[in-house]
Amino acid sequence: MHKTSAVGILANPAAGRDIRRLVAQASVFPLAEKCNMISRLLSALGAGGVDEVYMMPDAGGISRRLLRMLQTPSLQPRPPVTFFDMPVVDGAADTLLAVERMVEAGVGAIVVLGGDGTHRLVAQVCGDTPLTALSTGTNNVFPALREATIAGLATALVATGQVTDDGATCSNKALRVSVNGTRDLALVDICVSTALWTGSKAVWRVDSLSQLFVAFAEADAVGLSSVAGLIRPVSRRDHAGVRLDLAPPGEAAMSVTAPIAPGLVVPVGVAAVHDLLPGERQTVCAPQGVIALDGEREIEFTDGDRVAVWLDDDGPRTIDVERVMARAAHSGLLTSTDQTLSNPLQKGDSTDAAEQG
Amino acid sequence: MQLNKDDALRAYRTMKTIRVFEDRVHVEFETGEVPGFVHLYAGEEAIATGVCLHLDDGDRIASTHRGHGHCIAKGCDVRGMMAEIYGRKPGLCAGKGGSMHIADLTKGMMGANGIVGGAPPLVCGAGLAAKTLGNGRVAVGFVGDGGSNQGTTHESLNLASVWQLPCIFVVENNGYAEATSVKYSTACDDLADRASGFNMPGIVVDGHDFFEVYEVAGEAIDRARAGGGPTLIECKVNRYYGHFEGDAQTYRAPDEVENVRQNRDCIDNFAARAVSAGLVQEDDLASIDRDISDLIEDAVNLAKAAPKPEAEDLLTDVYVSY
Repeated sequence: MHKTSAVGILANPAAGRDIRRLVAQASVFPLAEKCNMISRLLSALGAGGVDEVYMMPDAGGISRRLLRMLQTPSLQPRPPVTFFDMPVVDGAADTLLAVERMVEAGVGAIVVLGGDGTHRLVAQVCGDTPLTALSTGTNNVFPALREATIAGLATALVATGQVTDDGATCSNKALRVSVNGTRDLALVDICVSTALWTGSKAVWRVDSLSQLFVAFAEADAVGLSSVAGLIRPVSRRDHAGVRLDLAPPGEAAMSVTAPIAPGLVVPVGVAAVHDLLPGERQTVCAPQGVIALDGEREIEFTDGDRVAVWLDDDGPRTIDVERVMARAAHSGLLTSTDQTLSNPLQKGDSTDAAEQG
Repeated sequence: MQLNKDDALRAYRTMKTIRVFEDRVHVEFETGEVPGFVHLYAGEEAIATGVCLHLDDGDRIASTHRGHGHCIAKGCDVRGMMAEIYGRKPGLCAGKGGSMHIADLTKGMMGANGIVGGAPPLVCGAGLAAKTLGNGRVAVGFVGDGGSNQGTTHESLNLASVWQLPCIFVVENNGYAEATSVKYSTACDDLADRASGFNMPGIVVDGHDFFEVYEVAGEAIDRARAGGGPTLIECKVNRYYGHFEGDAQTYRAPDEVENVRQNRDCIDNFAARAVSAGLVQEDDLASIDRDISDLIEDAVNLAKAAPKPEAEDLLTDVYVSY
């Protein structure tokens, strides 16, 4: 019996409209382009052998646009798309519910289109299902800015079982935070600020920052993790992370000129640098403030709240697109041959063919 | 952009005054004593308040047909507003404007406006004046999602950007242009997307969250004052009442408003967070509640007892007396 292979596509309609367009020079990522990306993904998933695609309905306009697009003929065959029959509240709960449904449906992989914040939500509920992380947000570190067609092909090769070796997917670290027992997570960084409100979510005023915990920090990253990336880089594969104690630049022993948002390169004061070992529970120094998860202020806490942060290696698995495509090339997964014609890869054949032509 | 205690109490007083004012107008309209139409702002208080807290009397705003909240947030006299809605002589426009034309230029309130999309051209004028005079003033134009589709709005966004005027355009997207869903009537997905076409920043804000509106509006206003040019802010929000009083609202889901009232009410949300953060005390808020209750009761009683304009008042306060 033919076993169907399914893939989930989770596209956040809300990414890319926040205050960083005002206080920094962050780009605008319109829904039309997200839909174009999904269209290219669908073509590649179909070409890679995926039979079925599941998606989240949304109030932002993606599902509406796609339904219209899917009614028009396509040069490239696309797998059928099913939008879950689920309530839409136009918020994070939609993402969580849709990903749960995708996992229940047994998808072989989930393609996520969004920023660090969207991937953070997906990671809460995706379990062992591997993710293909595609950036559409503002200052993204966890997902890659990558052509959707290639991401779709790699996803299809993994979801259909054509590429199965361990190197096809990678494990990731995660930062956990607990406030009075209620847990959340971040995939890149957790920052503590003495600002009182989540407000417009983004973090761009560095004077109020007191602590920064990073799961990984790359020297060429944009966002808060760049502060650590420029003085103590840590790769995604390293065992440990880093904790920085921050202070206003004039009061700290070290000042790092860091790109904390697109077009916003500012001095950030660093008072101390510590290794952050997995499982080591960290306390938060500020008596009151907000906790930013992957660059977005999410949790307000006050004096008396019990706050703890720690690192673990139980983050989501992600598909290594480059490695999967290299494997596809090496194993000829996207290649077919016609035995009646000479093989162009055999030595001398191409020259002969040219001479004959 | 931190709030101190005085700011927080002022924000609460403003939002609560708007809510109680609108809830009372809702009740009073049923009596048949209020002439004309009224369009209530309840549910959207965080927007007017979060924006206008950054302004003073020298800054200008222009409003919509749903303008009571903007008037209160900009400092218009509440008793004068109620009298105006009742069409009485002590009203802010001498009882001759009514709900949709309340204005007080001494407060920088250029008027509610019966013309959909009427505010943006007005704030371009105010913005041009401020830029010409170099006085650091800004002008804020409020417009609904329906008004955002008007040519006046698009022309104004273009002009404000071309001339780099100190203008902020606040789109209050409550989901419906009268009874028509924004999803049906608007080609773009977020109204803020249009800002790119006019070469200005476009931000989407949760219009139920005072803190978010306050922060974004503050940054946009500071930028405009400093010569940075205009900004478009789209506030996604729900109105608690119909388009107008008497609207049967058959176009809305039965539990749509109740869900927002229960889970996302801007005033409840603000009060809970401000108390939790220790910025204000519950007693402070209760005291404000009592003040507001007395104020609105007094405003209604004064309005009802006040005389209506006389026939001889018809030809005053007009550009030309025939």
